[in-house]
Amino acid sequence: MSIGTSAASGQAIPQTHGFAIEVEGLRKTYGSLVAVDGISFRVQEREIFGILGPNGAGKTTTVEILEGLRQADSGRAVVAGIDVRKEPQRVKSLIGVQLQASAFFDFLNLVELLDMFAALYQRQVDARALLRRVDLEEKASSRVKTLSGGQKQRFSIATALVNEPRVLFLDEPTTGLDPQARRNLWELAQGIRQDGRTIVLTTHYMDEAETLCDRVAVMDHGKIIALDPPSALVSNLLAKGFRRRTVEREANLEDVFLDLTGHELREA
Amino acid sequence: MRSPFSVLTVTALKMYVRNRQVIFFNLFFPVMIVVIFGLINGNGNVAVHLGVVDQAHNQVSQLVISQLQQVKAVKLNTGSLPDEQAALQRGDRDAVVVLPASLGSGPVAIPAYYNAGKPQESGAALAIMNRFVDEASMQYAHVQPSFTLDARPVNSRNLTYVDFLVPGVIALSVMQTGLFSVAFSFVALKQQGILRRLMATPMRVPDFLASRIVTYLVMAVIQMALLVGLGILLYHLHFVGNIAYLIIAGFIGAAIFMAIGFSISGFARDEGAVAAFANLISFPMMFLSGVFFSLSNEPGWLQPITRLLPLTFLANALRSISLDGASLWAVRSDLLGLAVWLVVALVLAVRLFKWEIA
Repeated sequence: MSIGTSAASGQAIPQTHGFAIEVEGLRKTYGSLVAVDGISFRVQEREIFGILGPNGAGKTTTVEILEGLRQADSGRAVVAGIDVRKEPQRVKSLIGVQLQASAFFDFLNLVELLDMFAALYQRQVDARALLRRVDLEEKASSRVKTLSGGQKQRFSIATALVNEPRVLFLDEPTTGLDPQARRNLWELAQGIRQDGRTIVLTTHYMDEAETLCDRVAVMDHGKIIALDPPSALVSNLLAKGFRRRTVEREANLEDVFLDLTGHELREA
Repeated sequence: MRSPFSVLTVTALKMYVRNRQVIFFNLFFPVMIVVIFGLINGNGNVAVHLGVVDQAHNQVSQLVISQLQQVKAVKLNTGSLPDEQAALQRGDRDAVVVLPASLGSGPVAIPAYYNAGKPQESGAALAIMNRFVDEASMQYAHVQPSFTLDARPVNSRNLTYVDFLVPGVIALSVMQTGLFSVAFSFVALKQQGILRRLMATPMRVPDFLASRIVTYLVMAVIQMALLVGLGILLYHLHFVGNIAYLIIAGFIGAAIFMAIGFSISGFARDEGAVAAFANLISFPMMFLSGVFFSLSNEPGWLQPITRLLPLTFLANALRSISLDGASLWAVRSDLLGLAVWLVVALVLAVRLFKWEIA
């Protein structure tokens, strides 16, 4: 493995039949609110799978059930070959999680934090190699609060990689980042997929989903209302006779911005 | 392979030591209390302020004054009658004695004025003066005293205020650390999403809680060692106790207040709410539980309540252990009180503590 970790536990690799995630009839209610309303989908190994939807659509609840952070009321979720309801701890040891707005202990530097996270997985990790992987090696002895927004998200991804996860969950990883940092993170995500990992991504940015995701599930009111590759979804819409009022120009304002300021990362 | 528990504990200790605010409140603050209160009450014994107006200016009056100066309990001032009377009226003297011009030349009345508002001090001053007057009278009349006092020295333990204070401040800082550190850090961990991130790893919850509890107990031991050490070094603290007993009693107290801290973190939504609840609990106890003053100075109707406070049991136990060299069995009634509180606090903590913001 390129990030230099070593596994401690000699558990057999679970069989997955080519699917990183299998969800069947998953349902979760909070009182009278139906947060997730009997959804089913499968995510293939090495896929970048997007979950889109307006706020309150049930994306976060779905992801948190898959991560073992919440229990579904009914239905079945198998992640990396493990039934989440039966063995949430085992699922947690096989996945990596980057939470929305996740913070880390203060008074520890990046290396100390990565060492601590690795210990929670009963592993040892080459923290510097991992930091190099996310382009933060020179920040090894800094504290998280001194990092820029993009650096924080990259560090958050590094903590999610300490256990060489089979499946990596990224929850709105580029919210609040400048265009350069967003593109930098996209490259990182694509590189992680190249390493053979599956990525589940939630986002509000359609360009992000279009660039990164092999397939996207669109959720609303707790249900999946569309599930296809982005290009297929666009083709379907066009086939229904949809036309934009104004024809898209060859470039947009973001292209102008990047042309003017360059693609290089800014994290002074 | 380092276990998750040991790594979490080392990590928590590292964070603790690097947090200057925490070090200030948990170590520097209690030390300052002991140093400052020790300085204020350093000399312990209260002197009697006696004013003498020497109108005789003869051998006898000089003799009286020089003998009075040797009485340790007397702080002697000499001056003119108007000056001394003014000082008496200001409350600067407990009594003023006038040695009249005719002193030594026959029977004479020695006028004494005393501060009616300070009966204890003025009484002591007059008693000392009376002894001088009696002795002088007997010598003058060539009478042998029928009774004499045969004083023999005994090495009493002579407890000072610092002896009383240090165990109390240990109890206080054990309480503050347990309450505030636990409640503040857990609310912050929840608010910032740190706890949530940790829950997404295979970390076992008991490992995490245990690592935090061990950290606070280590802190409590450091507090005890620091305060006792400082007391001995600076104020000759009369510590005759078994340090292991002190630590055991301190741990029971720490467990109670940590459990209350966990309870607070269950319903406090932010750090402001933590400060409010924790102060609401700790502030009255700080003054009612005999940390700074003996409970016997409290009004009688209040004592049945204050005697049942957890900090009272803790302060009493620590005081008996350190000053009387009491065994754990000897302080069993205090430990029983603490045990009851521990059960109550643990039940509360289990019911109220939550991993998510309420």
